[in-house]
Amino acid sequence: MSSKFLTHRTGVAGAAVLAVAAVVAVVAPLLIDPGSLDVTRVTAAAWQAPDARHWLGTDHTGRSVALLLAQGAGTSLFVGLTAAVLAVGIGTAVGVVSGHFGGLPAGVLLRVTDFFLVLPALVLAIALSTVLPRGLGTIILAIGLTSWPSTARMVRAQTLTIEARPFVERARALGGGHAHVIARHVLPSVVPLVLVNATLAVASAIVAESTLAFLGLGDPARISWGAMLHQAQLHGAVPQGAWWFLLPPGLAIVAVVLAFTLVGRALEAVVTPKR
Amino acid sequence: MRLLGRAGGAALSLLMVAVLGFFLFRVVPGDPVVSMTRGRPTTPETQAALRAQFGLDLPLHEQFFRYFTSLLRGDLGTSFTFRRPVAEVVLERLGPTLLLVGTSTVIAVALGLWLGVLAAWRRGSAFDRVTTGVSLTLWAVPTFWLGMLLMMVTGDFFPSRGMRDTDTAPDFLSQALDVGHHLVLPSITLVAVVCAEYALVMRSSLLEELHAPYLTTARAKGLRDDLVRRRHAVPNAVLPAITLVFLRFGLVVSGAITTETVFSWPGLGLLFYDALTGPDYFLLQGLLVVTAGAVVVMNLLADVLHGVLDPRVKVV
Amino acid sequence: MLELRNLTVHYGQKRVVDDVDLALAPGRTLGLAGESGSGKSTVAMSVLRLLPRTARVDGQVLLDGEDVRTMSWGRLRAVRWASASVVFQGAMHALNPVRRVGEQIAEPMRLHGTPGSVAELLEQVELPRHKARAYPHELSGGQKQRVMIAMALACGPRLVIADEPTTALDVVVQAQVLALMTRLVAERDLALLMISHDLSVLAQTCEDLAVMQHGRLVERGRTREVVANPRHPHTAALTAAFPVIGDRRHRWAEPRPAPEPLLRVRDLVVDYGRTRAVDGVDLTVGHGEVVALVGQSGSGKTTLARTIMGLRRPSSGRVIFDGAEVPRGGRALKAFRRQVQLVLQDPSSALNPRHTVFEAVAEGLRVHGLREDEEALVTAAVERAELRPASLYLRSLPHELSGGQQQRVVIAGALVLRPRLLVADEPVASLDASVRGEVVALLLRLRRELGLASLLITHDLGLAWQIADRVAVMHQGNIVEQGPAEEVLLTPAHDYTRALLAAVPVLGPPATG
Repeated sequence: MSSKFLTHRTGVAGAAVLAVAAVVAVVAPLLIDPGSLDVTRVTAAAWQAPDARHWLGTDHTGRSVALLLAQGAGTSLFVGLTAAVLAVGIGTAVGVVSGHFGGLPAGVLLRVTDFFLVLPALVLAIALSTVLPRGLGTIILAIGLTSWPSTARMVRAQTLTIEARPFVERARALGGGHAHVIARHVLPSVVPLVLVNATLAVASAIVAESTLAFLGLGDPARISWGAMLHQAQLHGAVPQGAWWFLLPPGLAIVAVVLAFTLVGRALEAVVTPKR
Repeated sequence: MRLLGRAGGAALSLLMVAVLGFFLFRVVPGDPVVSMTRGRPTTPETQAALRAQFGLDLPLHEQFFRYFTSLLRGDLGTSFTFRRPVAEVVLERLGPTLLLVGTSTVIAVALGLWLGVLAAWRRGSAFDRVTTGVSLTLWAVPTFWLGMLLMMVTGDFFPSRGMRDTDTAPDFLSQALDVGHHLVLPSITLVAVVCAEYALVMRSSLLEELHAPYLTTARAKGLRDDLVRRRHAVPNAVLPAITLVFLRFGLVVSGAITTETVFSWPGLGLLFYDALTGPDYFLLQGLLVVTAGAVVVMNLLADVLHGVLDPRVKVV
Repeated sequence: MLELRNLTVHYGQKRVVDDVDLALAPGRTLGLAGESGSGKSTVAMSVLRLLPRTARVDGQVLLDGEDVRTMSWGRLRAVRWASASVVFQGAMHALNPVRRVGEQIAEPMRLHGTPGSVAELLEQVELPRHKARAYPHELSGGQKQRVMIAMALACGPRLVIADEPTTALDVVVQAQVLALMTRLVAERDLALLMISHDLSVLAQTCEDLAVMQHGRLVERGRTREVVANPRHPHTAALTAAFPVIGDRRHRWAEPRPAPEPLLRVRDLVVDYGRTRAVDGVDLTVGHGEVVALVGQSGSGKTTLARTIMGLRRPSSGRVIFDGAEVPRGGRALKAFRRQVQLVLQDPSSALNPRHTVFEAVAEGLRVHGLREDEEALVTAAVERAELRPASLYLRSLPHELSGGQQQRVVIAGALVLRPRLLVADEPVASLDASVRGEVVALLLRLRRELGLASLLITHDLGLAWQIADRVAVMHQGNIVEQGPAEEVLLTPAHDYTRALLAAVPVLGPPATG
């Protein structure tokens, strides 16, 4: 499987980008002096264009954009990963249960899944993060609780496909019960797809995080790429022509999200058998 | 039969939307009045008066009964910030959003499906690789950032705030041209993001069909390649794609919220932003019910359309 | 008319067709036989250059003396369908699902400017005119295949290539479609190249016969002679796989006295929603007895078998196993399932592709918590199923085995629980002809050595003749006739049984020509 993945050049490139981002996210908080990001203690002028001292210039308070960018990587990745795990976890459980068990409970679950599938996830996430207290946990919850239906749909479809296969009927004829069929046949075949789905879910969770933060619903105590863009909008980076405060966080989001997407697509090509 | 079932399902979904809207804003930690009046000087008396005005002092089931019966009458409650009925405020902002979302969706669907078909048919070609690459990149771009970027790049060439200038001549043509001028950047933003998604959907849908045996039949009959595509492959692939397009209508709604926020386009999206910065729970609740309801109805329409277009689905 | 010279086809490095020479004169009929993977369909598709781009074709494909390989695209498009047309395998997918069949028949006529009417064509294939307005999913399998034939005749070609035209059709419908094709070929003086894995189908329709194996042509000649005196061992194996009902040499079951009943089904009714799939069935299987349950698809025989196994709940009636009623659930049902085991039609899908042979065979033991001596029991069962030595196979995954070996693994997985009754649903239908005989022999040997009773569900009357002690004929949810195999198959009492027997293709001279 790993050797097959290596044949997908774009997937490998994506994985490399992610590795760099992960290293930055882990190392940055250790190396950056908190004082250099404290609005009250920075000495540089506001809205400075990039120069030798400030590679990416400074923001509206005089903080270095390069340092903000490095510091923000952690939040964006952490929220993306945990929200995706939450969403995929719920989705897998709902999908397997509604696919394996027939009858009324499955019908109700399916109905609920379909309901949340069509609702605009962002609108729900906005509503959730407005009513809950601001914070990292709220953002994760808001994204995780609103983006599970697509996973549930896909896992359910795969469960139904597997359950229709003769080898599951054979397992039942051998005397195997629900636990046996789910553990030995359904889950092993669902796991690769869930992995693919999780990778793609991280991508959309990162976009969702940046959107919520942009709308001012993020954790005010933390720096994230979305929060930087929120500041840029709030303090008029566009009319100021401060491209250095606008481009880096956006490009960072695009690079990481695209990287997750490419890795996900490469994984998908690896796990789905060719026709 | 099927149509009745779908309509019933949609009705149930609308009911669930109403329930969701109610509980999301009631069963939360903290007092809504306290959080809505945060940062403003208030006395316990005025807070109590506000609670009574919004009916928040009633037991939960009575609140729900009042909420639900007013909803059936089309009454979405009263906005806290605007001090006016939510329905009125929403209706006022509907036009600009319909204009933006309508224009963008039509362009995005047409462009996206066309690009997707060509990319799939010439799978592996330079055209396919560029289309897919650009689509994937656009899919990764946050809508609001794309908007800000466009604004910065185009400078003063296109107006970037609002829907019309105050000094435009009052005649219809000047007004229309002015609105059109203002519409350019927001709709490009929305089209770019949404169209990328549709192109990817259409491409994979057509790729699914490319191995279908009936295409071999069509080739064996002596049909030219583009006829095989136009008459046989595309009609089959377009059906699931259309369903998916409608299923992802929520994507357009989300895109509209951030696009309108960036460009101060005076529609429902900007209203959403105003409501959440308030925060104005009653306005937010009304907006949630309206947008979710609209999406449910769109899906019902998609189902009906699918039934009309696909002979395999029994409509009756 | 059609001549193939040194035709060789490669997919990458793999040679799927190897140096094939064939000629077909106008008005003649030629059958091309072979098992899956023998390259027969590739030969057929190369005639109109319909192979995927990854295929490399060498040699010559002469259609009316012109090489198809070197034709320009324009010329090729003009030749397609007008000179030679194709009746594809599985009309289900070969017709466009979202267009009316009338339009699809008319399409090549408009394209090639051929006069004629769709209604006339439909009449010729014995379909009512109004079916032109139907969509493929509104037609039955047989009707779709008729549409396919009408479409093939639309431009009046002189050569028709039929690729497995009756696979997936019921015996009775297959007989009708074959009769139709035979009639049309004779009436219109067409040349016919028919491809099939089923020698008996070809024997009925074609004057000449060619047999392929591993991409090579191993034998060709007049059908009558090839079938009667096969020279190549592969041809012999193929002919042997089609037992002739009534031929004593093909009856492998030895006569035995009527045994005590093991399984009794009394007045069983099973409903699927509003349709009644099984309608008051009485059936008995004795200790160590092989009973064949025969019928067309949709007759309810599979539902009956599932209900006997406790996989479906009956609406009413009783299933009595070894003197006691079959439990409907819980521990007792689980215990019952050790006694009755299932062997399914397609072994490649009856095995989880991720499980090794060992895991697949041990699954039953694990389900029943029989952990002791697992290794020894599995080895014994695998060797019983004639995979020897077991150690060679235990670590293999299903896709590394042949179809016959896979079916033996499924049988081993059933044997490991020491059952007393085997319910086998079309156990050899998806196997290649040459391994079919071995698996049939294995089932008989298990009966002899272990006293294992079998309920054999099949549409294949030849198989019933080969090994069944008794035969029950099922039609529309009812058992219309049952009794000793010789009696039912040689002197059928019910009209439906006679109709089934009449539809069975036999290895013999073609009906016409």
